[in-house]
Order: sequence, then C-alpha cells, then structure tokens
Amino acid sequence: MSFINDHLLSIIVAAPAVAAVLLLIVDDEARLTMRFISLIGATVSLAGSIQVALTYGMAQGGLQRPEKYPLVPSLGIDLSLAVDGWGVSLLLLTGIIIFAGVWATWTLTDRAREFYILLLLLVSGVLGVFVCQDLFIFFLFYEIAVLPMYLLIGIWGSRGKVAADGPFAFVWKRFDVGGREYAAMKLTLMLLVGSAAILVVIFAMYFSAGGRTFDLTVLGHASYPRQMQLWAFPLLWLGFGSLAGVFPFHTWSPDGHAAAPTAVSMLHAGVLMKLGAFGVIRIGMMMLPEGAAYWAPYVGGVAVINVLYGAISAMSQKDLKYVIAYSSVSHMGVVMLGAATLTVDGWNGAIYQMFAHGMMTGLFFALVGLVYDRAHTRWVPSMGGFAKEMPWVASFFVLACLSSLGLPGLAGFVAEFLVFLGAWQSTHWWWALPGIVGAWVTAVYVLRAVRDIFFGEGPRSKEIHHLHDAHGTEWGALWVLGIGLVVFGSYPRLILDFIHLATNEYLPRVASIAAQLAQAP
Amino acid sequence: MRAIDWALLSTFLPLATALLLVLVSPLRRTGLGAGLVSVVSAVATFVGAVMVLASRFGAEAGVVHRTIQWLPHSALGGVAHGRGAIELGVHVDGISATMLVVVTFVALCVQVFSIGYMAEEPKADFGRYFTWQSLFLFAMNSLVIAPNLLQLFLGWELVGLVSYLLIGYWWKKPSAARAALKAFWITKFADMGLLAGLIVLFLATGTFDWTVTTAAAGTVTLLLFVAVMGKSAQFPLHIWLPDAMEGPTPVSALLHAATMVAAGVFLVVRAFPLFEQAPNTLTVMAYVGSFTALFAAVVAVVQTDIKKVLAYSTCSQLGYMVCALGAGSQAAGFFHLTTHAFFKALLFLAAGSLIHGVHSNELSHMGGLLKKMKVTSGAFIIGSLALAGVPGLAGFFSKDLILEEVLHRGLWAPLGALLVAAFLTAFYMGRVMWVALLGEPSEHAKHAHESGPSMLAPLIGLSVLAIGVGYFGGTLSGLYGEPVHFHLSAIGIVATVLGLSGLGISYWMFGAPQGGKAILEAFAPVGRLARSGAVNGFFAWSYRSVMTRVAAAIGWFDRYVIDGLINGIAYGTLEAGSRLRVIQTGRVQDYVYVVVAAMLLIGLYGAFWGR
Repeated sequence: MSFINDHLLSIIVAAPAVAAVLLLIVDDEARLTMRFISLIGATVSLAGSIQVALTYGMAQGGLQRPEKYPLVPSLGIDLSLAVDGWGVSLLLLTGIIIFAGVWATWTLTDRAREFYILLLLLVSGVLGVFVCQDLFIFFLFYEIAVLPMYLLIGIWGSRGKVAADGPFAFVWKRFDVGGREYAAMKLTLMLLVGSAAILVVIFAMYFSAGGRTFDLTVLGHASYPRQMQLWAFPLLWLGFGSLAGVFPFHTWSPDGHAAAPTAVSMLHAGVLMKLGAFGVIRIGMMMLPEGAAYWAPYVGGVAVINVLYGAISAMSQKDLKYVIAYSSVSHMGVVMLGAATLTVDGWNGAIYQMFAHGMMTGLFFALVGLVYDRAHTRWVPSMGGFAKEMPWVASFFVLACLSSLGLPGLAGFVAEFLVFLGAWQSTHWWWALPGIVGAWVTAVYVLRAVRDIFFGEGPRSKEIHHLHDAHGTEWGALWVLGIGLVVFGSYPRLILDFIHLATNEYLPRVASIAAQLAQAP
Repeated sequence: MRAIDWALLSTFLPLATALLLVLVSPLRRTGLGAGLVSVVSAVATFVGAVMVLASRFGAEAGVVHRTIQWLPHSALGGVAHGRGAIELGVHVDGISATMLVVVTFVALCVQVFSIGYMAEEPKADFGRYFTWQSLFLFAMNSLVIAPNLLQLFLGWELVGLVSYLLIGYWWKKPSAARAALKAFWITKFADMGLLAGLIVLFLATGTFDWTVTTAAAGTVTLLLFVAVMGKSAQFPLHIWLPDAMEGPTPVSALLHAATMVAAGVFLVVRAFPLFEQAPNTLTVMAYVGSFTALFAAVVAVVQTDIKKVLAYSTCSQLGYMVCALGAGSQAAGFFHLTTHAFFKALLFLAAGSLIHGVHSNELSHMGGLLKKMKVTSGAFIIGSLALAGVPGLAGFFSKDLILEEVLHRGLWAPLGALLVAAFLTAFYMGRVMWVALLGEPSEHAKHAHESGPSMLAPLIGLSVLAIGVGYFGGTLSGLYGEPVHFHLSAIGIVATVLGLSGLGISYWMFGAPQGGKAILEAFAPVGRLARSGAVNGFFAWSYRSVMTRVAAAIGWFDRYVIDGLINGIAYGTLEAGSRLRVIQTGRVQDYVYVVVAAMLLIGLYGAFWGR
C-alpha cells in the first residue's frame, strides 16, 4: 500500500495511459472488455484524485506528494510531480469528467478501441498538466492533451450546417466549413500556433533564469528582466489563451465542439479549455508577474468581451451544439476575467469557475448527445415538446442551464459571484458589470433553448419521432455531473478551501508587484 | 426545542420532502400519495413556524442569530479591510417569525386546496406539482430566516426558479412556456441590481448585514430596489405578473399573490436599517409604489379574466406596500404585506374554486354563482371587501395605516394616487362581484356546482384571518419595533368613503339592470389604452427588435468576419502555396538563372550603395 501511496500522483496520471496500452491487446470484438478497461482506467484516476483530496494536508498547504524522476539531467528536465490546492481541485474535476465521459460513450460501436485509446491518452495529458512541476514536461503533457483531438474529431465527428456568406464567402467554397475534417484541422492548427508561441517563451525563461533547470518553483522565483516579461507574457496569454477560447482566437471552439462526438465535447469543453486558462495563470501570471501586471488590463478587457460576445453569439445560434459551445466561450471569459483581477476572490473564482464550468458543460454535452441520438438533429427550431418523452433529460438540462446562468445553490453561482466580487475590487471595478449582464444574457438564451427543445406541444419537424428518455449506462454521466453541480454549489468549501489555500500562497507575490507597478509613475 | 430548532425544521423539512419526491419516483408517481406527504410536511412546517412566533412572546424572546461559514475568508486585502467570511444561517426576530407564519399558513392552505383543485391532473404531474410546492416552501423559508442579505439573495433566486417551474407547470401549452420564460427573464433582469448591490455593500462594509451604517447606502439601496421592482412587480417591470397567471390558480395564490411577489417588499422590510440611511431611495420608492398602485388599479378595471383582475390588483397592492416603506414606515408596509397575503390568497383560491366550477377564467362565462356556490362566493365576498378596505376587515386597518404615514410625510402626489387607487380597488372588486356572483348566469355557469371539502376548508381558514388579522397590527408590530396603534383618522374616513362609493358606483354600473352605460362609453378610450399593453409591447419590442437583432448581427460577424479572417489566413496560405509552386519548376537552368540574377543584384548593391 505504501507503494501506491508514495506514487499516487504517477498512478493517477498514468492509469488512463496504461488502460490505453492495454486496449491495444484486446480482441476487436470484445467491446465490453474495452469499455471495462477504459472505465477502470478512469475510475483509478478518479479514486486516486479523491484520495489525494482527502489526504491533502490543509494545515501546511503548498506542494505535496512530491515525486521526481530525472529524465534528461544534463538539461535539467525531470518528471517531477506534486500537487497543490489548485491541483487537487482540477484533478478531481478531470477524474469526474472522464469517469462520466466513459459512461456517456458506453454504447459507441464505431472503432471503439481507437476511440478509447485516444480519449484516455488525452486524459493522461490533462492530468499531467495539473500536477506537473517541470515546465518542459508541462508542455509535453499539454501537447499530449491537445493532439489526440485532431483524430477524435476528424474520425468520429459530425457536421453542422454553415451557409457561405459574408466578405469571405469565397473561402467557404474551398473549405468544407462545418465539416468534421475542417473542424479538426482548424482546431489543431490554431492550437499549434499557440503552442509555438508558448514554446518560445519556455525557452526564453529557461535561458533567462540560467539555472539549467525547468523546475517550476525555481523558474517561478527567478526574476526575469522587465523587457522580456513584457513581450513574453502576451505570447503566453495568446498561446494558452487560444485553448481557453480567448477572443478572437475562440473560433475553433464552436466548430470543434459542434463537430466532436459527445465524450470528446465533454472532455474538451469540460477540462481541455481549462488547461489554457490554467496555463495563463500558472505559467503566465505566476512566472512573469511584471508582465502580468502590465498586461492585466488588456487580459481583463478581452475577457469582458469574451463574456458578452460569447453570450450574445450564443443567442443567435440555432444549432444546439453551437449554443452550448458559444456559452463555453462566454464562461471561459469569466475564468479569464477572474484571473485578470489579480485579487484573491478573482483567482478563487477563476479556478472555481474552471471546476464549475467543467461539470456543467460536461453535463450539457452529455445531454446534447442524448438529444441528438434520439432526434437525429441538432436544429433547435425543429424540436419541441421533448419533455414529454424524455422528462429526465429535460430536468437535467434545466439543471445545467440554471448552473450556467448562475442560480445560487449550484456550482456556477459560487464561481461567478467570486469573480464579480474580485472584479469589483480590482483596478477596473466596472469589469463586474458586463459579467453580471452576461449572466443575464445566459439566462435569456439557455432558457429559451429549454423552451424550444423541451416545452410546447411536440416536435415542429415531422421527422422527429420515437423519442425516449435516458436508459441504462446513459444515466451514469447525468447523475454524476448533476449531483456534482448541486453538491459543490451548496457546499462550495469542499473544493474552495483547497483553491483558497493555493491562491493565498501564489497571489501575494503577483499582487504586490502589480501594486508596485501601479504606484510607479 | 428552541426557536432556532423550529426555524430550521420549518426550512429543512420541506427540502427533505422535495428531495424525497424528486428521488423516489414511485412515490411521486402515485400522485395523491405525494400530495399527502407534502401536505403532512406542510402541516409540520406550519407548526414549526407557529412555535417560532410563540417564542417571541416567551421567555427567550431575544433575537436569535446563528451562522456557519459558507465561503472562506477573502484574506488578501480582506482582513485588513475587515472583510469577514461569507456566512449562512438563521435569524429569528419578530419580522422573520411573523413572515414564517404567513408563508407557511398560506402554503398549507394552498396545498390542501390543490389536492382537490388538481385532482384531475395525471398522477405523475400531480406528484411533480407537489414536489415543487415543497421546494418552494424551502426556498421561501430560507429567504425569510436569512441572517444576512446574501442568504436572502440565495432564497430569492430559488423562489424565482420555483416560480418559473410552476408558471410553466402546463409546459405543453406554448403560452404557459412563454409566460414562465418571461417571468424568469424579467425578474432575473432586475436581480442584476441585487447582485451588484450586494457586491457594493460587501466591498464597502465587509459584511452582508443590513444593520451596518455605510456611506454607500444610497447606491446599495437603489440597486436593491431595482430587484425589488422586478420581484414585487413594480411599474414598469410588472409585466411578467399578469402572464404568470398561466400557472395553476393555487400557484397564483401562493407565489404570485401572497408570498413570492411580496419577497421584494420583505427585502426592504428586512433591510430597512439600510434603506433608512438613503432618503433619496425612499422618495423614489414612494413615487414608484404609488404610481404602480394607481396604474395597476386602472388596468385591473378593464380586465375580463378574473385572474388578471386579481393579478393587477396584486401589483397595485404591492405598490401600496412599497409606497408605505418609501414613506419611511416599516410597520405599515409589513403589516399590509401580512393582511394582503391572507385576503389575496383567499381571493385567488376562491377564484380558483369559481374557475373550477365553470371551467373558465372569463368573467363573462360566470354570473349568478352566488346561488350555486354559496361558500365559495361568501369567501370571495369577504376577500373582496377586505381588499376594498371596508371597515372592520383586515385590509381596512393596514391601508389606513399606510395612508396615514404617507400623509404624515407630506407626500401629496403619492397620497392622491393611493386615494384614487383605493377608490378604483373597490370599484373593480365590486365589478367582479356583481358580474361573477350575481348577474345573469352564462351557459358555463348553469352547470356550476360547489367544490369539495378539501377546497372549501382552506377558504374558511383564510376567511377567518382576512377578517381578523387586522386587529393584531399592534401586537405584531410590537414584535420588532414601536407598536402601532390604530385610531380612526380623517384620511381613513376619506379612504373609507372612497372605497364604499367605489363599491356603490360599480353596483350602479354593473349590478343594476340599466346602469351607467354612458359612463362606460365615456371612459372607453382609457379602457382601450389600459388594455393595449403598451408597456408589455415595449419590452416585447426591445427583445424582438433589439436583442435578437443585435444577437443575429454579432453571430453573423463572428461567423463570417472573425471566423472568415481565420479561414482567410488559411486560404491565403493555400493560395500562396499553389501560386508559388510554379517557381519550383525542378529544372536546373531556372535555378541557375535565379542564382546569377541574385548575385548580380547583390554585386550592384555592393558597388553603388554598400559603401
């Protein structure tokens, strides 16, 4: 047992990848075996994350459960893992989402083996990013998390309707806009451009710190020249930010989420986008505090645009997946807004919003998958009256909506409230206002979608029939995520205490530098 | 058990009931079983509330305040500014104890009434209905016992949610689905003010307490009042309330007449120490409230749907309460809330019983019901007279108190509006009584029959309070401040005369065989204006023509400009690649030409400009 305990973080990170390897040797027809192997991989990660949370020493805080395996000693690259308060909460989130995600794809039959392998690899990457304490390996995990998406969307995806129009209409004729190959390619290329920017900064930091190490703690306490911080921070912001859906680099997200199969959308919107925001905070703001302080007004300003722009764009969508995808853009804006405030409440709120939005959007995409499976369309205007045949799906959908519009008692409220509180005490108090308005616009479009899909006499399209409620394994994702939203919304301290611990440790350095900058002429 | 235990019981028992009904589907699907579980729980909740109120007269009558930490301290820059943790808990004093009893009693009556009223519903829907009724009790009670404004806000949003769910109870009807959506949108719109107000308050004082003294009180209370306008249906945010009548009538009685819509008024009563620090906000409230009272009364006169009359009447009466608070009288506003809860719930339930009898909401489908439905009609008459301010009934005392306070403050315009509204109130209630209860029976009304005992018992219970609660104004107000003492004043006599003449004129116009048709015609333009729904039209226009168009424009911009740019870059790369491909011919001669040309150019550059 002590082996497990000593290497718990490695086990959590490796479990999905090991499951993926095991899948390689399973017989093609043994679908049930594949599912169980994937489920076990996911369950080990989830159980491990819960164990990490339960045993995390709240009194001492800081980085715990350190593990270090030298990889390239001459360059100072170590596989070094450790978990802090943020890590605990984000591990839990990832564990919950992949656990639910496996349930949501239980009935997948098309090339199930390859699908699960890619999905599990991706999750290993995500888990690695959250506990990794070495910048090089951080980047490695980050790429492992991002790249399988190309195949997952390109092979198992679906397409949405996008008409050619506007000043660039001629382009539409060349690309199959809305198609799955298009979406996969767009997503991958945009994220890779971001990665290139990140890589430049990683090397700049490595050489500028001069310690021949990629250790995050060492790099984090090095003092980089102000000039370098000023050009490096925006690169990180946009590099990681493109994954977090920062305006105007968000446009891969609606197409990507819409084209992706259910579990992939769940993971992608649920945890992958968080990697981006996490990177901006963990690497960008914490490593380059002067750059962060200088650029924070821009980060916040763009985040405000994200919140409103995403919400208003979502209002105009007719394709259900696009509605939810744009709402993710809007909600990730809340994360970035919280980060930009450089206040305790703002950062707590940002990390909590990652958690809350992950659960909520995971639930959303699981439900959208169910609706699509029954109705064979995602076109909202053709739906109607679905609550009659699928009352539980309707109920869970309303629950997810309520969390997304910030109803107290559900996880989304805690996050938004903290972010607004942080925004109001930041240097730009008015940032809170677009945030608050954004939450209202969310209420407008999500509840309108509820009415159009679930309420009314019946489907407006004659082609929709034989609807039925969730059954069998489909319940898994719905209950896990639904209960999660209620539990973490009613008693936020379950997670918030961890987050708060880490925020309290990391923020003062950044905030004091920001305060000095503000006083300097 | 102490007061705090009873208060907790009254709050969490309904929650447990709701959870039980949500999670145990077989129980919910029994219908009647779910209803009975919910009613039993409502009885216990009511008992708990009574015990809490009783404790106010006992040995431990002091304020009980107990909290737990909900969100951790915001440490950085927080402790230094005295910012504490964010807490939830229980606060028992005269106000919350009184409100608890009002809420739980009306809820109990409504639930019992619903057993009969909803009996023909499918079993699963019946169970769902009672699940939400229980959830409502939890939400409302957690609002009532809130120890700070944050918890009040949590309950506030939750009752808004239950309101959404119950208005949309018949979600298959497009009109009900739309009404639910509208109610949520409008109230949530107003709630932005509450959220902003809370943030300002917290950052200014470090707490969510309503007892603090702060320079920011003006801003905070104005923001809070925006939310009050939404929740308590004040002009121009009242437009969701008439539509909310799409819900089942008992729901209208409980949520949209007695308790949930009064939450706005309750917020002001609760946070009155804050509002008192902001005289400007109070003035705004007095004017908004009195205007709403008058405006809604005018509109109520021309409604043909009995529930719509009562809905506008609720707006109007809430206007009275807001105006009273604006005049600086916490006691008058809260007392009117209490009396109104009883007589308006009575009116709605009686109207529900009438509707049950004739299967229609339309006044023209009723008529002559007094003979067929004696108990219901009696209850309706008691409620109407209490609302009209007939001396001796509950509404008379509280309305008189309000008018006195407004007069005392010298708020002349609001006073005038309230007096006219008092006349109109009596007039439109008279109209409903004469048309629905007397008058010629319509086709529908011929087959009407009295409702069953489960519907009549709540009517009788509420009738008793609609008559009697007016006499306890002094006792109740003594629980949280100086007791008010009733004495008949000049303004009270004026209002009474106006009310009685309203009843009389309405009899002359609608009750007597050949009454004032000429007057009706003279006021026809006013009627048309009141029926036109201009305010509603404005909101519909701003949604359809502004919001959706802006959204469409932004959506287009995102898809075809932002996205187009990204696609354009990709396109440009591909095009450039395919154009430049022709350079790479693969013939050695071509490359040699380029090399030689380049060398020449470099040499020229070196020869002429490089020195």
